[in-house]
Amino acid sequence: MRDLKLSVSAVVLGSLILSGCSVIDQGLDLAGDKSPISSADRQTVGKTTQALRSTFAEITDEEEYYIGRAVAALILARYPAYENRELTQYLNLLGTAIAWNSDRPETFAGYRFLVLDTDEVNALAAPGGFVFVSKGLLRLCRDEDMLAVLLAHEIGHVTARHGLQSIKKSRLVDAFKVIGSEVARRYGPQELAQLTDVFEDVLGDIVESLVERGYDRKYEYEADALAVRFASGTGYDPLALPDLLQAIEDRSADSEGRGWYRTHPTPKQRIDRAGKHIAPLPEPSPAGADVRSQRFALAMKNLK
Amino acid sequence: MKRSVRIAAFIAVLAAAAALLIAETLVIKVQTTSLRREPKFYAASVATLRQGETLERISAEGAWIQARNTAGVTGWVHESAVEARKFKLAAMDKGLKTQATAGEVALAGKGFNKQVEDSYKARNTGADYDAVERMLKIAVSPEAVLAFLKKGRLDVEGGSR
Repeated sequence: MRDLKLSVSAVVLGSLILSGCSVIDQGLDLAGDKSPISSADRQTVGKTTQALRSTFAEITDEEEYYIGRAVAALILARYPAYENRELTQYLNLLGTAIAWNSDRPETFAGYRFLVLDTDEVNALAAPGGFVFVSKGLLRLCRDEDMLAVLLAHEIGHVTARHGLQSIKKSRLVDAFKVIGSEVARRYGPQELAQLTDVFEDVLGDIVESLVERGYDRKYEYEADALAVRFASGTGYDPLALPDLLQAIEDRSADSEGRGWYRTHPTPKQRIDRAGKHIAPLPEPSPAGADVRSQRFALAMKNLK
Repeated sequence: MKRSVRIAAFIAVLAAAAALLIAETLVIKVQTTSLRREPKFYAASVATLRQGETLERISAEGAWIQARNTAGVTGWVHESAVEARKFKLAAMDKGLKTQATAGEVALAGKGFNKQVEDSYKARNTGADYDAVERMLKIAVSPEAVLAFLKKGRLDVEGGSR
C-alpha cells in the first residue's frame, strides 16, 4: 500500500514537471495547496508569471512585425514606392538570397525589398524585414556585388534588431505594464488608448533614429561587419562594401546633407573598419561574374 | 529503506527525463514557415507550420533543427523560426523569468497586435498602410532564389552557418 502511495506521488510529481509550462501559463492555481511544490517555490513561480518584460530583447517577433509595419507605413507616406516590376523582383531575389545566409533568415512575416522613388541617396530597414533602397542610392551601385553589400548592411540592421534598440526603455516599461496587467486577449478602451500612446512614442523613437538622426555609430559599424559576413557567405565580393562607401562619399558634395549623409558616419571611418573584417576572408570565385553583370544591367536598365 | 531509495532514484530519473523533454519542445514564432525535407531553404516542404505550433526537437545541424510536428511528420526547421520552451521549476533565474513572460505574451497574441494597429491607424491616417500591404504581396519562391544563386554561381548552402 505504501508502495502504491509513493508511486502515485512519483507520477504526480513527474506529470507536474512534465506539464511545467502549462502550470506556469495558468498562473499556478492548478497546483493548489496539496501540490508537492513547496510554498517558497510557488511564490517564485507566481512572481515569474507576473514579472514584466523590460527590454527590447523581449519584444516578440510578432510585436516587432507590427512595429515594422507602422514604420514602413510612415516611410511610404514620405517616399512613394518606385513601380518597376522587374527591378523589384530582382531586388527581392538578391535580398532573399542574402537573408538565407544571414543570422536570421526568418522573421515573423519574412523580408521584403522595395525601391523608393526619390533621387535622395538613402536606404532604410524597418524592424522585421521591410527594406527600402532609394533610386538615388541604386544609381551609385555599379554591379551586383555593390547592391549585395548594400542589402546585406540593411539586413544586418534587421538581424541585430537595431531599430528596436533605439526605443527608449521607459516606453517599453510603460507598454509592458499595460500588456502585463490585462489578462484578456482584447484590450479594454482605456488600456488600448494607453497602449496606442506608447506605440506612437515607440514609432517616434525609431523614425527619429532611422530617418532624422541616424543610428548610433556603433550600430552602423556592426551592420557593416554583418554585411561583410552575409555578402561574403552568399558568394559576393566583400570589397564591394568599401567601393560602395567610396561611391557614396564621391557624391557627398551635391547631397545637401540629406538622407544617408545625415544619418551615417562618414564613409572614410567605415572603410577603414570594414577593411579589418574583409582582410581575413578568402577571395570570391570570379565564376558567374558575367551572368551577374548581365542580369544587374538588365534590372537597372529602365531605372529612371 | 532499500525500497525508498529505489523509489527516490525512480523519481529522480523521471524528473530528469521530464526536464529533458520540456527543454526539447519548440514553438513556432513566425507567422508561417515550412517543415522541410532537408536542412535547406529550397528543400521540399513536408508540412506547413504556423505561429504557436509546437515541435519536438530531434537533432540539429548548424542552424537547422530536425523536429517532429504534432501530426508525427519529421523534417527540418531553421532556428530563427522557433523558440525553445525551457521551463524548469528548479531554476527560476532572471533569464527564465523574462522568457516566460515574453512567451506568454506571444501565446496570447497580446502586446502590440492588430487591435493596437487598428487604433493607431484610426488616429494616424497619414501612415500609408495600403502601400505596406502591396509591399507584403511581393513574393519570390525558394525555387526562384535557388535558380538565382545557381545561375550567378553563388553559394547555395544558405542558412547552414
